[in-house]
Amino acid sequence: MSDLFDLPFEDDPRESDEAPQPVASRRVYSVTELTIRVRDQLEEQFFEVWVEGEISNCRLWNTGHLYFTLKDSSSQLKGLMFRSALRYLKFKPADGLRVVARGKISVYEPKGEYQLVCEHMEPQGLGALQLAFDQLKKRLQAEGLFDTARKRPLPALPRKIGVVTSLDGAAIRDIIKVLRRRYANAHVVIRPTRVQGDGAAAEIADGVRAIARVPEVDVVIVGRGGGSIEDLWAFNQEPVARAIAACPLPVIAAVGHESDVTIADLVADVRAPTPSAAAELVVARKDEFVSRIDRLTDRLVSTARGRVQRLSRRVHELSGRRAMAGYTARLAMTERRADELTRAIADAIRSTLAVRDRQLRILERRLDASNASRRLARDRTRLVTADGALHRLITVHSHQAKMKLGQAAGRLETLSPLGVLARGYSVCWNDERTRAIRDSADVAPGDTVHVTLSRGAIAAKVSRTE
Amino acid sequence: MSDTSIKDFEAAIAELETVVKKLEEGDLSLEQSLALYERGVTLSKFCHARLEDAERRIELLNERGQLKPAPAGLSGDEPDR
Repeated sequence: MSDLFDLPFEDDPRESDEAPQPVASRRVYSVTELTIRVRDQLEEQFFEVWVEGEISNCRLWNTGHLYFTLKDSSSQLKGLMFRSALRYLKFKPADGLRVVARGKISVYEPKGEYQLVCEHMEPQGLGALQLAFDQLKKRLQAEGLFDTARKRPLPALPRKIGVVTSLDGAAIRDIIKVLRRRYANAHVVIRPTRVQGDGAAAEIADGVRAIARVPEVDVVIVGRGGGSIEDLWAFNQEPVARAIAACPLPVIAAVGHESDVTIADLVADVRAPTPSAAAELVVARKDEFVSRIDRLTDRLVSTARGRVQRLSRRVHELSGRRAMAGYTARLAMTERRADELTRAIADAIRSTLAVRDRQLRILERRLDASNASRRLARDRTRLVTADGALHRLITVHSHQAKMKLGQAAGRLETLSPLGVLARGYSVCWNDERTRAIRDSADVAPGDTVHVTLSRGAIAAKVSRTE
Repeated sequence: MSDTSIKDFEAAIAELETVVKKLEEGDLSLEQSLALYERGVTLSKFCHARLEDAERRIELLNERGQLKPAPAGLSGDEPDR
């Protein structure tokens, strides 16, 4: 195959005896042999070199190896960096970056090209960390990972609070201290991880994924206390950013101090300036809800109270005419039910207040003891440091509603009550029909009682009381 | 709390808000008012219960996904100041 090309350059040595070629000096290499010799020479000569230039034609292959060209104003040098070495770079080599590369010169035999096999690279100008930060930030921003629209609101009341951080640092102690002080019964689940050094980023990312799977964990705090940019580095690495972005729960990032902004902070749903602040964000929500519920409960009770008062005024008018006295019984039932509900709500409020105020426990016991002590408590309410809502509940409501309705009901005869009785309730009256019986102690065996039903009435004898 | 008609804490607050608004607007029959009031009390109790019922506990999640009680030193029970 090569004959055609060989002929014009060389005579057949057999045709001329006069000019024998110096056969001994004529060493013909195969291409491969020569290439290998060149390679060996270059590799020996340029075993470790440092070279400065600008990166261009930078391409990362599927194998994970990086191919690039280093150039200056007049020359180019092909370069290659294996995945194993690339792994240790904090930044990503990219076109246009000026770098100092260290490596050896080698030859790629199939193409007869010499190239720099790069072992390490440092960016010129910016520090490697800063550059890496800028690069990752730019990339994730382009993906939309920092978008405000992605930020989820924190849960109103997390059932459990997940924390991913080191057990050794100040961060975890700060978080627990704040939670304990402001939300004593917080349930905290901690995933201990390293927060700096090799492998920390992977542990943190794993931790975020793992804690999100714990049942009832509703929010995740991830972070660490302050430190140098190297110390905080794990929180600037892609695996952590990806884990936070993919987390199905809202994530609060709390890394270092106020002035430290990491990639993790940017990806998280909420950025807390410090770990303590992260804990406060969680419990501030609780305080907010406690007062919101208390306000609503207050309004609920006072609205219902106003309604009962209006109705009782109307009954007074009606009963004055003795025209529709049936409403009285109905209203008496209604008032009783409202009273029970009000008591139930007072219990709910009290149970919350009791946590904050030991004095209320005393009041609570008095209130629960009996009606008599309930009146006593009412009179003494002003003496006790009590919540305004509770005070109003007990005094105003029961006093006004009971007096008005009780008197009205007592004066009137029972006629057929409407809606309440139709649902199956009935009213039991004493023999004189002056009073509805509310306590089995008010009657004795042998007494006659009258039961008003939706249709008709029954006179009955008490056989026993319980 | 076992009331299955209440989805969760946030839904309960939202509903309580609606109940109070409706009641405040008036224009309801006595039965409707009472039904609403009763519902409001249930919701309010549910919310209070949820605010108080979280367990005071600190646990560690280990690498095998198991939950263990945190060491005593972490509990934060020592005095703050």
